[in-house]
Amino acid sequence: MPLTVELEGVNFAYGASPVLDGASLALSTGEFVVLAGHNGSGKSTVLKLCLGLLRPQAGSIRVLGGSPSEAAVRRRVGYAPQGLRVVTSIPVSVGEVVTAGLTPTASTLRRDRPRERKRIQAALAAVGMENLARECLFELSGGQQQRAILARALVADPPLLLLDEPTTGIDQSLRPRLAAELRARADAGATVLAVSHDPDDFHAVLDRIIVIADGHIRQMTHEQFHAHFEVS
Amino acid sequence: MSVFTYSFAVRAYIAVAAVGFAAPLVGAFLVQRRLALIGDGIGHLAFAGVAIGIALSFAPVWGALATAVVGALMLERLRTAGRIAGDLALALVFYGGLALGIILLSASHRFDASAIGVLFGSVLTASTGDVITAVALCALVAAMIVPFYRQLLAVALDEETARAAGLPVDALNLLTVTLTALLVSAGMRVVGLLLIASLLVIPVAAGSRLAHSFRDTVVWGTAIGVASGLGGLLIALGQGSIAPGGTIVLTSILAFVVAAFAGRRAARRHPRTAP
Repeated sequence: MPLTVELEGVNFAYGASPVLDGASLALSTGEFVVLAGHNGSGKSTVLKLCLGLLRPQAGSIRVLGGSPSEAAVRRRVGYAPQGLRVVTSIPVSVGEVVTAGLTPTASTLRRDRPRERKRIQAALAAVGMENLARECLFELSGGQQQRAILARALVADPPLLLLDEPTTGIDQSLRPRLAAELRARADAGATVLAVSHDPDDFHAVLDRIIVIADGHIRQMTHEQFHAHFEVS
Repeated sequence: MSVFTYSFAVRAYIAVAAVGFAAPLVGAFLVQRRLALIGDGIGHLAFAGVAIGIALSFAPVWGALATAVVGALMLERLRTAGRIAGDLALALVFYGGLALGIILLSASHRFDASAIGVLFGSVLTASTGDVITAVALCALVAAMIVPFYRQLLAVALDEETARAAGLPVDALNLLTVTLTALLVSAGMRVVGLLLIASLLVIPVAAGSRLAHSFRDTVVWGTAIGVASGLGGLLIALGQGSIAPGGTIVLTSILAFVVAAFAGRRAARRHPRTAP
């Protein structure tokens, strides 16, 4: 299988605090991988390195065959951060948030509106929000806001999905549906890397768990993960 | 002849309507990004440009435009480089621009009523050339926003995610502050450099009380901007001795109060509950 994400001997530190120390990681096309670890272990840092938002101090990173700092590579990555970053007094509809996921790949002057509407409806349906496109995002629950952010990452059908705590605040009853949706994306050829405190949300559908500890990335089975985190 | 047909009044209506329409187009993105005060900073800086124009004997609006654009770009560079805190950068620009303008105008013996007109607006004395310049600048602002609307909104919603998605965030931020500078220069004659920022912010704030989406906020904001601009001008013309800059801004504040009341009332009568 061709590799979608390759980290080789990556070092990264925030000031004097090291986060990654020679970390390596390889994700193949069509894999669904959960990245776990303690708070502050560097899970979100790995995502930001893969997105080109942070640069490693040593080592190399390749994403979709190129550098994550290239705009052409970034346009092919779907990213869902954890929660909203900007909350102001201006209302924003769910549809507008999801549409923002199509903006990087859309032409500035020529738009195929019917096709865009279909994709937006499909992304909202994938997260169980098909009837909420016109609702104001800030009037919804935290879980619904998180699902809208997830729909924004899914809407362009990107070959790589980088998701930061995608199930935060989402109803327990809806989590299996979202996990199945991400599995279906992986089966269709997308690579999914989801940062999660709780890999149990994805236990039934994931390919493997990787864990960050002491600056290194290690692979673990589900049982090893629970044994490690219950002991430590 | 009446307040509707005097040629100076017609020129004023056109200029006020153009600025009232274009200001919320830019203002919505500034408010969403919590940069509402940047219009104020650029306005103060443009005052120095006006003074330079007068001192060097060219049209003040071009001095204001050049200083506003250069200052806006520098302000954005300082903000994004994190070399200086955003509020400190604005404070330096606020007071530095105003002080420089006062020094240059008084040194050239022009620190008189015309300076008051620049600071607080003098739309009733605008020439045809002034109005053409203001309308052209507003049209340029609107023409630039339409094709880049979705990119600007994506950045305003979440700058980090927009950057991660490969959008040219830095260039779009520069575009936003440049459009703000153009708008400030266009509004100099209408409400003055000290009040123009209010037209960037207040109609948008009023529109946001009536809307459920960013697009509807922009639509309401432009409608309220035009209506409060024309309404304020009519009040000033009808009364005869009040400066229109003040009545335009106070009318927009009244529109905000009415919109806040109407929005709350509508929410009580038709609550939108997500299933």
